[in-house]
Amino acid sequence: MTFALYIHVPFCLRRCTYCDFNTYAGLLSLRPAYVQALLGELTLRAAQFPAPATSVYFGGGTPSLLPAADVRRLLDAVRDRQLLADGAEITLEANPGTVDLAALRGLRQAGVNRLSFGVQSAQDAELRMLGRIHTWDEAVQAVRQARRAGFTNLSLDLIFGLPGQTLAAWQDTLNRTLDLAPAHLSLYALSVEEGTPLAASIAEGTLPAPDPDLAAAMYELAGDALHRAGFWQYEISNWARGHTAAPEIWALPPGGLSENIGPVSRHNLSYWRNTPWLGLGAGAHSWLAGRRHANVLHPRDYIRLVQAGELPEATAEAISRRLEQGETMMMGLRLAEGVGAARFQARFGVSLAAVYGATLRRWQDWGLLHWDGDRARLTARGRLLGNQVFGAFLPDDEA
Amino acid sequence: MDARHIRNFSIIAHIDHGKSTLADRLLEITGTVAARKFAGHSQLLDSMDLEQEKGVTIKASAVQMHWQAADGEMYELNLIDTPGHVDFAYEVSRALAACEGAVLVVDATQGIEAQTLANLYLALENDLEIIPVVNKIDLATAQVQEVSAEIAELLGVPLEEVIPVSAKEGRNVAAVLQAVVDHVPPPDDPVDAPLRAMIFDSHYDPYKGVIAYVRMRGGQVNADTRLLMMATRARCDPVEVGIFTPEMTPVPQLTAGEVGYIATGLKTVREAHVGDTITSAKEPAPEPLPGYQPAKPMVFASLYPAEADDYPNLRDALEKLQLNDAALTFEPETSQALQFGFRCGFLGLFHMVIVQERLEREYGQNLVVTAPSVAYQVELNDGRTIEIHRPADLPDPTLIKEVREPWMKVQVITPTEYIGVLMEIFRRKRADFLMTETLDPKRVQLTFDVPLAEMVIDLHDRIKSATRGYASMDYAFDSYRPDDLVKVDILVNREPVDALAIIVHRDKAYEKGSLLIRKMKEAIPRQLFEVPIQAAVGGKIIARVNVKALRKDVLAKCYGGDVTRKRKLLEKQKAGKKRMKQLGNVIIPQDAFLAMLRLDEE
Repeated sequence: MTFALYIHVPFCLRRCTYCDFNTYAGLLSLRPAYVQALLGELTLRAAQFPAPATSVYFGGGTPSLLPAADVRRLLDAVRDRQLLADGAEITLEANPGTVDLAALRGLRQAGVNRLSFGVQSAQDAELRMLGRIHTWDEAVQAVRQARRAGFTNLSLDLIFGLPGQTLAAWQDTLNRTLDLAPAHLSLYALSVEEGTPLAASIAEGTLPAPDPDLAAAMYELAGDALHRAGFWQYEISNWARGHTAAPEIWALPPGGLSENIGPVSRHNLSYWRNTPWLGLGAGAHSWLAGRRHANVLHPRDYIRLVQAGELPEATAEAISRRLEQGETMMMGLRLAEGVGAARFQARFGVSLAAVYGATLRRWQDWGLLHWDGDRARLTARGRLLGNQVFGAFLPDDEA
Repeated sequence: MDARHIRNFSIIAHIDHGKSTLADRLLEITGTVAARKFAGHSQLLDSMDLEQEKGVTIKASAVQMHWQAADGEMYELNLIDTPGHVDFAYEVSRALAACEGAVLVVDATQGIEAQTLANLYLALENDLEIIPVVNKIDLATAQVQEVSAEIAELLGVPLEEVIPVSAKEGRNVAAVLQAVVDHVPPPDDPVDAPLRAMIFDSHYDPYKGVIAYVRMRGGQVNADTRLLMMATRARCDPVEVGIFTPEMTPVPQLTAGEVGYIATGLKTVREAHVGDTITSAKEPAPEPLPGYQPAKPMVFASLYPAEADDYPNLRDALEKLQLNDAALTFEPETSQALQFGFRCGFLGLFHMVIVQERLEREYGQNLVVTAPSVAYQVELNDGRTIEIHRPADLPDPTLIKEVREPWMKVQVITPTEYIGVLMEIFRRKRADFLMTETLDPKRVQLTFDVPLAEMVIDLHDRIKSATRGYASMDYAFDSYRPDDLVKVDILVNREPVDALAIIVHRDKAYEKGSLLIRKMKEAIPRQLFEVPIQAAVGGKIIARVNVKALRKDVLAKCYGGDVTRKRKLLEKQKAGKKRMKQLGNVIIPQDAFLAMLRLDEE
């Protein structure tokens, strides 16, 4: 079975202007105690692993701020408990401004086999607006060094729909990024989150509000460009370089399985397919045995609780079968492979049509969803309007 | 008490000129209410919270006071309080009809205002003796001499007859009572006559039914008299009769000339309507007292529950309000856009606001209220005349001979420097300017005729803001007048939306229609397809805008497996949609239905 392990690293040198995730600048001195606490939580939760992890993902924050030796200690601890599956995908998110060749070699030797670089843009002015700590040249440098350190499975993140961003600037960012020949790309539309410095700048008028129609045009532009460059879009925001050329944009993956495309993110597939995962670290989320839980947000609270031998959980929620079905649809329809009727039936013991027939038909009528063999998939238009569709699968009475 | 020692009087004033404060002082110095009772409850007669908050009296009251006058004799003084707002002019007129005299209070810092005059004329129509009083003489800005002279000239009385008082400090209020005793005539209603009692107010009591506030105009009544309401034909066996001291205090009987109450046991105030005559069911009077008018709502708006599930609660709340408010009408209404609600009729805008606020505050209702409209008279080609209360009900133009709308006569008293700006405001409201009267070198009274439909949106606020609050306004129904009125239908996604139709002058149809659809466009979120919004007159499209189709609505990222957060966002989005109204395939936020309230913003 697939089982995903997430490890959260909440430290940043500086917070990006758009970020509202659980990250902290100025807490680097907590690193040793935090790593110790991660090891502690692993001990506390070892019995909760339903199977050895088939993927490990160091996310952040800025995981590349962890010394490679710490990454190695963490992976060794998992391995020593027989909780790491052979051939597991081990990803680490890296900020191009925080790595050098030696560190990258250390990570590779520790067992990390996939890097995800937060490149975000090829325009330095945009990088400054976003509060990134690196330039485009530094990102290019980091990618080259990663290759020299032995990484082949490289993913790059870009953000589009930025205040003031033009289609031409976006096209340029895409071209330059494709020139780096990544195995995988994540393209995220900027969402301006309340309480962030970016939202404040927009509110006070120092930055223009992003134009959602322009963002839609950028998304479509990217879809075309990546398709021509040999990438398959397998999720709303994710593309993998294909073993073969995709027959069309948003094509059904061969055999209906994203893995058949090429180097997809197997870890993130766990989220989208709503299969179990465990998150370690401050604010990390888990989905295990019909229950979602989240850890305390602040690293200090997290360290304190684990040191006291307590589970650092802040919230937990039992997920009803009905809600699990809804979440399975909400997440699964993000994938180009969609939600397969057979897999749904096997998982829940009822047919997809019996549970969601009317809802599926409604979105079919709107042209946002269609049946491809035995699977329900968003159409190419539907992938831009997913929120309109997803909500309809959530039960009303559990809001 | 024999009638010679009875005085029945009211206090009349412009809003905020100190009527209620003076009433409090009178109650205090006559020992009717102990002074300490006023602590923390500044104005006893204003018993509803809203009245206190808005500083106006909504329900009239009647209190019996006993006072020893200069001649050493005890007098029974019945103070009948009147509603303080022009929407309740009929109720004011009935309260005044229960009196022989009125104390006219004018603020020494403000002088005569529009409602001073309106109330004075109502009092004079009822042949009341006027006791002029200039109030607030304690204030530094008081112009006692000037204002007294103004009043004396208005009434044609010697300056000395205007009594200067400070109700707030209690200065000279005894002189007011003495003047009431000296100048207000005692009642001279015949005791040996059939029972006739005029209802000048009422309230609903859960134990005793409708309490009718009455002025005894003939004969006598006790709790054993079976009664007949002459206009509504309702009959009842009263629970008790009594007087207000100010608490309800039963007495063995009420006799001609007196003021008191009859606890009728009736279940709704509509059966004991203000202005009706109560008589004996066994020996009824041959004629009712003059002046009765059924309540006639002039302003209409639809009230819908924000959540459809609250419909029964809204109905209950309206029924309860109606127990105490004979002027409020409502009937169930369905709108394809807003589903189930009520079309409600009000005496005027102020009355509408009071009802809305009470529903929201006292009954916890969350309301969607459509823009107010007026009652139109429509003469059809077949000779029938119908009255419509909703613009959407205006028949097809080919069936109509003539449409008439209510016009009001409006008086505005203003400092002269605002004449120009007021003229412009009224011109835009299709008003006819009638005349200017100079009150003093600095102030004039302007008189206009204005269509009520133009007044109901924001005329009062506009006048107040344009004159920084210095102008005062009074208005009364004038007449129904024909005009070239047309219905502008609003079509959303090619379907007419009943709740959005408006009736406007033909010359303004394009202007108002295109403005309204532009406001609608701002309020309607983008949908999965392009939504045309059109304005049409008689089936012909006169203006159109489009709400562009939504292109992109999808969350980019799921942070570290935080599915719950993603789900909550979608649930929030979904809940937001639920609060909107579904119209075919189009989702319209409630706010869009109020777009026409903002028509005059530009």
